[in-house]
Amino acid sequence: MTKTPSSQMNRRAVLALTAGAAGVMAAPWVARAQAKAVKVGMPTILSGRVAQLGTSSRNAAQMEVEKANAAGGLAGRAIELVVRDTKGQPQEAARVARELVNSDGCEILIDAEASTGAFAVHEVARDLGVLCIHSNSETSSLTADPKLKLPNAFRCARQGIHDSVAGGTYAAEIVNAKGLTRWATCSPDYAYGRDTTAEFVMYLKRFAPKVEVVAESWPKIFQPDYTESITKLLQAKPQALYSCLWGGDLTSFIDQAGIYALFAQMQFFAVNMADYTALTTVKNLPPGIHSGNRYIKTFPATPQNAAWGDAYRAKYGEYPTNWAWQNALAVNFLAGAAKKANSADGKKLAEVLRGLTIESPFGADGKVTMRADDQTLVDYAVGWGTTIAKEPYVPEMKSVAWQRIFELEAEWKKDKGFV
Amino acid sequence: MTRPALRDAALALAGFLVLAILPLITSSSALIDFVIRCAALGLFATSLNLLVGYGGMVSFGHGLFFGMGAYSFGILMQRTGMPIPLAVLLTLCISALVALVVGAICVRLKEIYFAFVTLAFQMLVHSMIIAWVPVTGGDQGLRGGIPRPAFLGINLSDQKQLYLFSAALLVLGLLAMRHIVSSPFGYALRMVRDNATRAGFLGINVYRTRLTAFVLAGAFASLGGVIMSLFVSGAYPEFAFWTMSGEAVFIVMLGGTANFLGPLVGTGILLLLNDFVTRTAEHHGLVLGSVILLFALGLRKGLLDFVMEWLAARRTRDAATPAPVAVKGTST
Repeated sequence: MTKTPSSQMNRRAVLALTAGAAGVMAAPWVARAQAKAVKVGMPTILSGRVAQLGTSSRNAAQMEVEKANAAGGLAGRAIELVVRDTKGQPQEAARVARELVNSDGCEILIDAEASTGAFAVHEVARDLGVLCIHSNSETSSLTADPKLKLPNAFRCARQGIHDSVAGGTYAAEIVNAKGLTRWATCSPDYAYGRDTTAEFVMYLKRFAPKVEVVAESWPKIFQPDYTESITKLLQAKPQALYSCLWGGDLTSFIDQAGIYALFAQMQFFAVNMADYTALTTVKNLPPGIHSGNRYIKTFPATPQNAAWGDAYRAKYGEYPTNWAWQNALAVNFLAGAAKKANSADGKKLAEVLRGLTIESPFGADGKVTMRADDQTLVDYAVGWGTTIAKEPYVPEMKSVAWQRIFELEAEWKKDKGFV
Repeated sequence: MTRPALRDAALALAGFLVLAILPLITSSSALIDFVIRCAALGLFATSLNLLVGYGGMVSFGHGLFFGMGAYSFGILMQRTGMPIPLAVLLTLCISALVALVVGAICVRLKEIYFAFVTLAFQMLVHSMIIAWVPVTGGDQGLRGGIPRPAFLGINLSDQKQLYLFSAALLVLGLLAMRHIVSSPFGYALRMVRDNATRAGFLGINVYRTRLTAFVLAGAFASLGGVIMSLFVSGAYPEFAFWTMSGEAVFIVMLGGTANFLGPLVGTGILLLLNDFVTRTAEHHGLVLGSVILLFALGLRKGLLDFVMEWLAARRTRDAATPAPVAVKGTST
């Protein structure tokens, strides 16, 4: 009996089918073996105007995940970061966060969303009970308001109220030294801009009672032209100007104000200046701008912080942003908590995270703490300094003592009815 | 009840039964979430098609009512804790009232003027949401979750029960809208769309017809907003932003305006594309834009319109071609 080509094909087909069937049968076992990794979901903004910040969040977290995995992962289980774009829309943030948990099997969320998205993800965390670390929202009420408190939600990011206390303290010292009593403000017209400016002015007046605000300008967020604000500010002739404009809005304002020589006529306090995204984008960075630290590798002035900034730059070809260090720290906290709890279980990690202190390049004194009572980050480096036009951009940053921040924050919480 | 109305009611019941059985077949939470979002945006887009497809009024401000629904319902639940059905009814009334005021000004205008004034009203309401911080939470949205007290044994904190509730609202909403477009009022609306002057001469009050359609569309859009606010357990200014209206216009373009279920098909396409592409591609905007271009330039109409026309053309062709006659003794 001769073998026909078709019968050979059939045998091959049978072999292929058998192999395929074996593969299908084995798939659940292979999947189960791989499922040992702890999936950490990260909803963030990877498209649109703030995509650079979301990308830096992903990069920084990934860099720390690689380090953590090299050191044994979370209690022996490797971390797998699953990152999804939310386009900065709260309904997408909610949808993506749910999908990460329900469909992708993520056991932990690092919510690298801006504030509105963060509140949406917070509600998902409430519904699903999953461990969630908010890593970018600076809105103080997210953790300060007891009505929003969840046992499974933490914040690993700077806070508006902390920055305002630090800024008010620093500015008051300059005011008292130089007699700058006439002030103006120019901040974006939305909740962050209005709240942060009000808090800064409140603390400034408290420490320097002679200060009066002679002009206020509220440009719209993402506004392209600041001529109206600039001429208003020049006409009011203040001695100092405060702004919490950020990102592209801040750099556009500085470039346009430079044409009118605004910075030669008044001291400029811009809380969001000392971030590489802003520092490297301004065409002619005027010297002497007062700024709070966002992320800068020279503050805290430690070899660990410089090494972290350089490592990030070497890996991704650009300097990290303020969102970057916060997300790196979120992964560090998870690794620290897993080590202490000897578990990767969300509930056990949450228990250990409350009050956990870890060593960190971003700490004011080399350490940061996840404060137990409101489950939020404290003891991170907070400082203010003045800019120069080239690296290191802010050669000297003055730290603000955390004890002072704690005292004033406690008063603020009492005034707001949060305690 | 007329025969078409009975058929629609039977189809709606069948549709609801299919949706109700779905969670028994699959335990996929993603599918459940998908249907809830489909219900919210499907109602929203179908209500827009009442204006665009049936009324010839291209509104660029329809997101106003979606946002209004989400905020009214959320605020009512957070502040009063009233039973959910009552809050839904009140939300529909509030949205209809707002639509009456906005519509009274807008429906007198034609084409681009109508589109721009509706957009202006939407931006006005969006600015109010941002500015009225004590009530709306400003740009941070309504925080703290929306309370969902159980009613009639239904607990909307349970995702599967929320799914059934959303599916029921979707089916009831679609059935009501179908009934509206099949009624004499629906035909009057089409006549106004095609030739308002002729409709006026025939005794139809053009202004009142357009205004009624605007109010009804606003109310149904707000029902979509209610479902979305329950899904995200909050309400955000983005719901009342112009991009939301743009999304509804996209959906209607994708699904088609000539068929009642076109916007629902469009919702499914857009959400599937969005969910799939954002999972797999970094530059998802490019992919989504290309698909929309394909529909706009390639099909030149929505998918359901294209399919229905293709089927109709095929039926006509088959009817026109004489059936082959078999002749004895011949072979082919």
